[in-house]
Amino acid sequence: MTSSLKPPTPLPEPAPTPAGRGAAPARRQRSLTWLLLCWTLGALVLVWGSFVFMAYQTGVQEADELTDGHLASVAALLLNLAPGRAVDSARATRRTDMPWLKAHDYQQSLSVAQWDATGRLLTHTGTAPLPAFETPEGFADLRLGSPDAPAWRAFSQWDAERERKVMVLLDLQERDDLAEDIAGQMIEPGLWLLPVVALALGLAVRRGLRPLYSLSHDVVALDVAGTQRLAARTPLREFAPVVASINTLLDRQQAVLSRERRLANEVAHELRTPLSSIVLNADALARGLPPEQHAQALDRIGRDALRAGHVLDQLLALARTSRTRLQEAEVVDLAALARQVSAEYAQAAWEHGGSIAVAAPSPAVLHGNAVLLELAMRNLLENALRHTPAGTRIEVQVGVGTPPDADADRGLDGDAEGGAEAGADAASAAWLQVCDDGARAGTPACPPPVDSLRLGHEIVTRVAQVHGGRFGPAPAPAPFTTCWRIVLANSTDTQER
Amino acid sequence: MRILVVEDDAGIAGGLSATLQQRGYAVDVCGSVAAAWSALRAESFSAVLLDLGLPDLDGGELLQRLRASPAPAPGEAALPDPATPVMILTARDQVRQRIAGLDLGADDYLTKPFDVDELEARLRALLRRSAGRAAPTIRHGDLEVDPAARTVRRAGVLVDMSPREFSVLRVLLESRGRVLSRQQIEERLYSWQTAVESNTIEVHIHHLRRKLGNDRIVTMRGVGYFIPADPAA
Repeated sequence: MTSSLKPPTPLPEPAPTPAGRGAAPARRQRSLTWLLLCWTLGALVLVWGSFVFMAYQTGVQEADELTDGHLASVAALLLNLAPGRAVDSARATRRTDMPWLKAHDYQQSLSVAQWDATGRLLTHTGTAPLPAFETPEGFADLRLGSPDAPAWRAFSQWDAERERKVMVLLDLQERDDLAEDIAGQMIEPGLWLLPVVALALGLAVRRGLRPLYSLSHDVVALDVAGTQRLAARTPLREFAPVVASINTLLDRQQAVLSRERRLANEVAHELRTPLSSIVLNADALARGLPPEQHAQALDRIGRDALRAGHVLDQLLALARTSRTRLQEAEVVDLAALARQVSAEYAQAAWEHGGSIAVAAPSPAVLHGNAVLLELAMRNLLENALRHTPAGTRIEVQVGVGTPPDADADRGLDGDAEGGAEAGADAASAAWLQVCDDGARAGTPACPPPVDSLRLGHEIVTRVAQVHGGRFGPAPAPAPFTTCWRIVLANSTDTQER
Repeated sequence: MRILVVEDDAGIAGGLSATLQQRGYAVDVCGSVAAAWSALRAESFSAVLLDLGLPDLDGGELLQRLRASPAPAPGEAALPDPATPVMILTARDQVRQRIAGLDLGADDYLTKPFDVDELEARLRALLRRSAGRAAPTIRHGDLEVDPAARTVRRAGVLVDMSPREFSVLRVLLESRGRVLSRQQIEERLYSWQTAVESNTIEVHIHHLRRKLGNDRIVTMRGVGYFIPADPAA
């Protein structure tokens, strides 16, 4: 378990592929943490920036309104006082110093000019140059003197009798300073808080992703070849489907590995046994044997060499079914194929003292690979001949659609070879089964088989899987005692899946 | 030395039987666990070569039964002998399978196909260890017997000897200090199929005495033969 003090490890990068090692250096994989941080902090900066911008705008606007209101108030105040004389600038009273104001002195310097109705200047105080008497009533931005002179914000108003006109002026620079001061004070806390919030957000993201890091570590540590299963240390709802899917994949992988191991053991046994026999008999021959034993040893070597060759043929067929897919799919008449293949084994069955028959509707058409289907049929027929006593009757039965005893056919999913689950859900297009009465009552003992059924059945299973179907033992219809069935789906259905 | 081969494949069983007989061993073959268990309960074998994939049961079952048999009291013989050396001969070549086989009680594990000389060397080592020896040769006085080369030297001089005489001498030397009856010697030298005449052992003993000296093999009248344990040993 990752300690809370330990920084979370970035999500693991995939191991470089052998092909990639010699090529250009692999692109650095992006980190989910980094991605989340980028998006989260990006969104935060955007929202924060909008807030700051709006705060600044609000600050400026409020300052404008404040100063304008100030000008209007002073103008109204002066108009409502009896006109008097203003003191000259040398005797003017200064503003009171207020050093305790932290940011801005709100005592701004106002200038005032008063005229009578004829435009005669009555008073003029402040630092503003004298504005023109004709300036319209209301607010205005004025440049007094030269065009480069500082601008003034002015408010002028007549009294009710229109006998006196007052204009109050404020240096625009002072007003802007005030506006910036107010806006700055509004956004300053936001600017200070932004890094703190970003840091807290980053830590929260990393802490929140910790279950994902744990899951990632557990997935990396999984031993696919073992019997391990994945368990989410933090049972989060979002992880449940991922964990379930990984465990399903693990189960499938382990089932495949187990099946491959069994097959490898079987192949090893099938191949090593005749080779061992050849080695031992050759050694005995080299040391000299009586004539009768000599002939027996030679015969045994010959038979075991053929047996090893048969196993190699089976292995090649198996490799072929593993490589082949349904790209070469064509319309295949399963009934015609069954008749053709069975006819080739008629002589062998006759020599075996038995017979081969075909019971099939014509035609039984499906989309499939004719070569693979023929390979599967040959295997089933050869097995029926090899592993049954003399005099056995063999029948190849073909049908379209679902097999007649489909309920009993469910056993095919867990067939003897443990593999036909791939096509368990596919709709059946056709089926084929090879039945024999080799286990009938009173049958003489079956001669020991030269090989096991497993390799042949593995080939048939793989052919069925390529066709989206399944293979396994099925209930034998009377009078037969053994039945092996392939249920096939149309290759078009298979490809769609 | 009498070897029990438990193997269901006729080719391997026949080949093993032929090649081991050529190398001076008596070989009996059983094709199933049941037959092998019957044989082990009826006869004494120097070693068992055991296949695992047998038609009735797994060969490991036979091994477990053999090792679980009660040990005989000191000085007594009991069948089946749980100390009988067992070598597994199988196509199962994975490490965990080898470990499992050895953990079941096998003394050695050989994967098919194997070299026959290696098989015999391992068999010799098994027999040597079961006789309590570490040295590859057997020494008794001025006598030196090399089971691998199947040679006998007396005072450094090679003694010409037939395979059967060599086997009788080896059986007596492996059991030094213990008297073996004629039947016990026959059981260790001949398989079931071999027809043994009543005086065969006496003839071999006679030839051995002629080649190695009369006092080498001692007769205990009415009981059997033995080679006295070397006082120096």
